[in-house]
Amino acid sequence: MSVTLISLAFFAMVAAMLVGLPIAVAMAAIGIIGGVWSYGMPFIDSIAPVVWGVHNENLLTSIPLFVLLGELLLRSGIADRMYISLSAWFGRLPGGLLHTNIGSCALFAATSGSSVATAATIGTVALPSLLKRGYPVRASLGSIAAGGTLGILIPPSVNMIIYGSLTNTSIGKLFVAGIIPGLLLTAVFMLYILGSSLASGSSMREDKVPMAERIALLTHLVPPMIVFGIVMGSLYFGIATATESAALGVLVALFFVWKSDKLQWVLLRTCFISTARVSGMILLIITAAFILNLTISLTGVAEAMTKWVTGLGLSATGLILGLIVFYLILGMFMDVLSMMVATIPITFPIATALGIDPIWFGIFIILMCELGLITPPVGMNLFVVHGIRPDKGGIEDVMWGALPYAILIILFTILLMVWPEMATWLPTKM
Amino acid sequence: MKEKIENILGSIFGLMFLFLVVLVSVETIGRKVFNFSIQGADELGGYALAIGSTLSFSLALLGRNHIRVDVLHEKFGPRLQAFMNWLSIVSLAAFAIFMAWVAQKVIMDTMAYGSTAQTPWATPLVYPQGIWLAGLAVFALVAFAFAVRATTLLLRGQIAELNEDYQPKSAKEELQEELADIALRSQDSGVKP
Repeated sequence: MSVTLISLAFFAMVAAMLVGLPIAVAMAAIGIIGGVWSYGMPFIDSIAPVVWGVHNENLLTSIPLFVLLGELLLRSGIADRMYISLSAWFGRLPGGLLHTNIGSCALFAATSGSSVATAATIGTVALPSLLKRGYPVRASLGSIAAGGTLGILIPPSVNMIIYGSLTNTSIGKLFVAGIIPGLLLTAVFMLYILGSSLASGSSMREDKVPMAERIALLTHLVPPMIVFGIVMGSLYFGIATATESAALGVLVALFFVWKSDKLQWVLLRTCFISTARVSGMILLIITAAFILNLTISLTGVAEAMTKWVTGLGLSATGLILGLIVFYLILGMFMDVLSMMVATIPITFPIATALGIDPIWFGIFIILMCELGLITPPVGMNLFVVHGIRPDKGGIEDVMWGALPYAILIILFTILLMVWPEMATWLPTKM
Repeated sequence: MKEKIENILGSIFGLMFLFLVVLVSVETIGRKVFNFSIQGADELGGYALAIGSTLSFSLALLGRNHIRVDVLHEKFGPRLQAFMNWLSIVSLAAFAIFMAWVAQKVIMDTMAYGSTAQTPWATPLVYPQGIWLAGLAVFALVAFAFAVRATTLLLRGQIAELNEDYQPKSAKEELQEELADIALRSQDSGVKP
């Protein structure tokens, strides 16, 4: 396999995706064409067990379960109430409700893996009051778009399950590895708000909420914290696999839905259908990715690319810096899930060949996806936040508002290169 | 009609996973706390995914959730858009039929060798794989029906209708769905948007 041919095939696939063919079809087609072209019809026979293998993989059962968990907490209104609690606690900081945006997005992220749902929910609750109270428009929009990206870094994260299944990396370890970077990136975002609010001189603050009321409001945080604690605790202490922890999480979530008198068939069915749609979309792409992966491994694409990259005399640092640019550009135009599955089968073997830790690389990929969510012209969170703003205004407002956060994510990635332990230390303690 | 199908498929999908949730939870807690194990929760999890994923493919198709990038699509003229929308559903149908065909090969092998699962239960694989094939066949049929309809629309030159029904789901639409749900739950959760 020559590098030129591989590059041509890759660009053909990306081109097919960009002109609007279904992502799964573009990947499967390149995989099947490449495989049949190299091995003829017998290749089809080797696809058969792969497709059954993916659909019968107990590990991937965690995807519909985690999606269902997020849906239950979201649709029952349990997640919405977190915002009220947090605004009472964070409102006094310079930057006021902007901190609440980031904080609630982070907490929301701990229960749901969907950035659209996160940004839409927090945005709808927050934006009208933010604008009414005179918070700067761009900063408000940007904080929600950026906060929403935390959803895929803070576990449970469906994107991490996909990375883990494609690369044979422990999902439990990936989840645990996401905790420290997730918290730190949240802190970095909040420090930025603090700093920029103080620097602008007109820093906004909210009125003081009496302590008793604040403590009373904390009860809204109990259900999501318990769900998160059970899911992550059972993983961290090795009690459960990813699928088992997801099942436990769903069970506890059901209990809280029942306690808040929301356990009705119509609500459940809405959650079911929504879960099925999201899972179906993800699982079809994963199926296609595994077909593509089969072609890649049989034809030695990864080896050829690895040899080529090492031939360039590139160091691990050089590779990661190159990949930041690569993912930054790709993320401007592609949906992040598609970007992830389309590139991992090639970038992962190269990275590990250069001695990069698989867990660390997973966190790196997730950060690149977060970046892709807020880089124009195609950034899902930009569209979502722009779509819910109550006043009229151009989409450039949210783009400018999110720009500082995009820069922060890149700087944070570089920080993660300097201190890889941020991601790799906690999983070793499991 | 469409809503009815979605409700039925969605309910089967959800109830199956709820059943699995209970089973897996009992197994996990039982194993750690009481040191007993109802073996086979793992195995059933795999089968649940096999059957659930085929149902979810169909539901994602009905909800137009199978992702397509629309960055260039939006810039195309209506005729090119119509062609791409047609090509997308036809290629998706081809992929669906391909998977069903591949699944039938898997079952042929299973029957030829009388394969059983490598588990304490030694389940004859033909049962779960049979349901799996049925699910994939449903997906293939739905996708095929969509493709036929899109082809008819294209040949008749009903471009507007074709684009209306088969365009990629935009971020705006996805947002509308979320907002509708937020409006619904804010009525009684006390959180006012």
